[in-house]
Amino acid sequence: MKNQLPKVLMLGWEFPPIINGGLGVACHDLSCAMSELANITMVVPKSSPDFKVKNMNLIGINNIDPNSYADSFDNSFNNKLPFKLHSVPSDLNPYHSEAINSHNNPHGYRDSSVMGGSEMRESFNIDNLYGGDVINKVFQYAEITSNLAAKIDFDVIHAHDWMTMLAGIKIKQQTGKPLVMHIHSLEVDRSGVDSTGWVYDLEKKGMEYADLLMPVSNFTANNIHQYYGIKKNKMSVIHNGSIVVEPFKSKRTFKEKTVLFVGRLTRQKGPERFLDIASKVLEKNPDVRFVMAGVGDYFKSMLEQSSYKHIGNRFHMTGFLNQEKLRYLFSVSDVYCMPSVSEPFGLSAVEAAQFGIPCVISKQSGVAEVLSGALKFNHWDVNKAASDILNLLSDSVLRKKVVEDASHNLQNITWNNSAQKIMNAYSSNNFI
Amino acid sequence: MPSICFYFQVHQPFRIRDYSFFDIGNSHVYEDDKKNEEVLNKVADKCYIKTNQKMLELIHRHQGKFKISYSLSGTAIEQFEKYRPDVLQSFIDLANTGCVEFLSETYSHSLSFIYSKNEFKRQVEKHAQVIKKYFNQVPKVFRNTELIYNNELASFIEGMGYKGIICEGVDRLLNGRTPNFLYQPVGAKNVKLLLKNYTLSDDIAFRFSDKGWKEFPLTADKFKNWVHDVAGNGETVNLFMDYETFGEHQWESTGIFNFLDQLPTEILKHPDFDFKTPSEVIDSYPAREVYDAHDFTSWADTERDLSAWLSNSMQKESIQRIYSIEKDILACGDPSLLKVWERLQTSDHYYYMCTKFWNDGDVHKYFSPFDSPYDAYMYFMNVFSDLECSLKELRLSKEKADKKSKKIDQLADILAFGKEVKIKPVKKNKLILN
Repeated sequence: MKNQLPKVLMLGWEFPPIINGGLGVACHDLSCAMSELANITMVVPKSSPDFKVKNMNLIGINNIDPNSYADSFDNSFNNKLPFKLHSVPSDLNPYHSEAINSHNNPHGYRDSSVMGGSEMRESFNIDNLYGGDVINKVFQYAEITSNLAAKIDFDVIHAHDWMTMLAGIKIKQQTGKPLVMHIHSLEVDRSGVDSTGWVYDLEKKGMEYADLLMPVSNFTANNIHQYYGIKKNKMSVIHNGSIVVEPFKSKRTFKEKTVLFVGRLTRQKGPERFLDIASKVLEKNPDVRFVMAGVGDYFKSMLEQSSYKHIGNRFHMTGFLNQEKLRYLFSVSDVYCMPSVSEPFGLSAVEAAQFGIPCVISKQSGVAEVLSGALKFNHWDVNKAASDILNLLSDSVLRKKVVEDASHNLQNITWNNSAQKIMNAYSSNNFI
Repeated sequence: MPSICFYFQVHQPFRIRDYSFFDIGNSHVYEDDKKNEEVLNKVADKCYIKTNQKMLELIHRHQGKFKISYSLSGTAIEQFEKYRPDVLQSFIDLANTGCVEFLSETYSHSLSFIYSKNEFKRQVEKHAQVIKKYFNQVPKVFRNTELIYNNELASFIEGMGYKGIICEGVDRLLNGRTPNFLYQPVGAKNVKLLLKNYTLSDDIAFRFSDKGWKEFPLTADKFKNWVHDVAGNGETVNLFMDYETFGEHQWESTGIFNFLDQLPTEILKHPDFDFKTPSEVIDSYPAREVYDAHDFTSWADTERDLSAWLSNSMQKESIQRIYSIEKDILACGDPSLLKVWERLQTSDHYYYMCTKFWNDGDVHKYFSPFDSPYDAYMYFMNVFSDLECSLKELRLSKEKADKKSKKIDQLADILAFGKEVKIKPVKKNKLILN
């Protein structure tokens, strides 16, 4: 028994090839590191042979024969939950918060419990994890994974974020195995601290029901405590790691210094703050370009506002970029700016640091806890951020120091560290 | 004796390509040559060649009694030179009949009058040279981009020696009066205004093929009656429209060419009516009333103002940026940069950025090569940024060259033993020789 690795059933949502944001990357890289320390079975909506992980049993729902679980479909599942959830017509994308248009749903009110397995499978649009009737997808995922779980041997359930919480709850009810919830992002990050609605409810109930929470930062742990009323002694903070990239420098095709923002253009990421900061910096130093990489529902408004502020010739929006283009941007940038209003972690800042770019990041982020080699500001403090950027652009001593410190930090920001901490938390809680 | 005055606008912009942020400093290719050529070929085949042929035929058929006028933008002429010389030749053939007048406008179909009088004047003069070159006419009547007009423009144009201006007959300024007379602008005694009769013009340009229109189908016979109704209360019926109306906006299958074929015959059935070019109208009739346009008017959209090009912040930012570099562009002395700058002034670029009717999928969308006004703005600003970079580089290398030549001059002074030279302090000499 001692020689055998602990067995973990991991429940994921975003996973390569489907990546919408940091969650997919984190799940992939974390499970890779953990697969050295544990036997992992990971269930995700879609897997592809191109993204196999060594030593890990990766199950994509897209590869399962619907008949294998259709018969055992449990109609009364909803009634057995420790709380009530109802399916409502919705077409929302909680990670993107694109415009919600409930008129697009032709089905109207629909209860997952009236559907059979094969119908569920058909309606599970695997490439669009947050589109359509997302609550149905959450139900379907829970059904399918709990059926799978009945056939698998494992010691601990490890669920990532709210989409898999229902599945985690169901499997815990079924098996009595300890349930760990890894919290990468909260509804209060995405939609603001006065969030309500079923996603918030699901998060709250799920986290209450779990045996142990693993928020990705103290910042997130505090939010869980403050906005969900959960005691901190049920949490073990696991900071994200980062895979090592080979940084490179490219020759910039224009003369001006470049300040970079990377992220979804949603309220959470503070795109408007970035614009204010840009405006402020340009008042003092017109020879700087600000580049905003990403898409989101603030896109149009950012273009309009930048033109309104008369910085249209210094404020550039690239739209969606693939990794190659993103890395090129990192390789030509002078400062990375992350003005997030509420950022559970913020992997992009780590990536910037890997490219030797000094970071100016908001204190309302998880990465601020592990990246001491960075200049930090409260997300509302435009003046501080602007002066930090101006200083980094003009003061080479400061710049060098920040970059150096960050490179020391990077040595500890590894997924191996995160994986080891997770294993330690499992054993100190007697899950394994 | 009322006259019919036809004026057709011929314009094509140099559309810019999807010029991304990553192109800045990397590529100076801004235009979508393929698209520009495609569009021009399409419009040339559907409209220009066919309509010019018809016009030539009509002029011959009516033995000089059918007269028309055109305004060709400089960018359209450049595109004819580049892609379709046959179109240019067919306009020259029309000019040779003596029944066709060519009007004056800004070279790149720009909004320059609003932002820079200097640039406006430069463009109007440049355009006049091209018209003279190809059509052997010196334009006497001016039409501004999209009929943008106000009192100030009238007095400026008067100062440039023109005798008439084409503009929109805007209801709120006519205030119940008819557009079918010549008008006198406020503040300019020596120019007369020809106001577009937008009802009759748009009957052809917009409503001709509209099956929901109660007058559909429009025949030359019916239209003639409306025109003849003017008799007794008007001296000129000004039918101004985009030339692309024929065959492009109104496809051949709508019967637009048959309509055009019949129209002169029908109009001339009334012995009191004739066709005149704008210059002839101005020479024939007095200005009957004053037309006071304090604010800018135009022929675009229902507002008939500048909002099609200058209503949102993206449009304003981009155009202000363009005119903010005027001095540097003119000073740099690089003709290729001047050409780029001139083409970026074309009003169409700003028209594509209009968000006014975006949700309705309106005419702005029909004409735009871009998916959205936001794309139009982004690509435009990226191009602008690259142009700015080129300017900056040019300035820096010039400064460097100036410095060098200054050093050489100083050195020459020092070495010119024969001349009386002030011996400079040793320290400075050392620096110079280094």
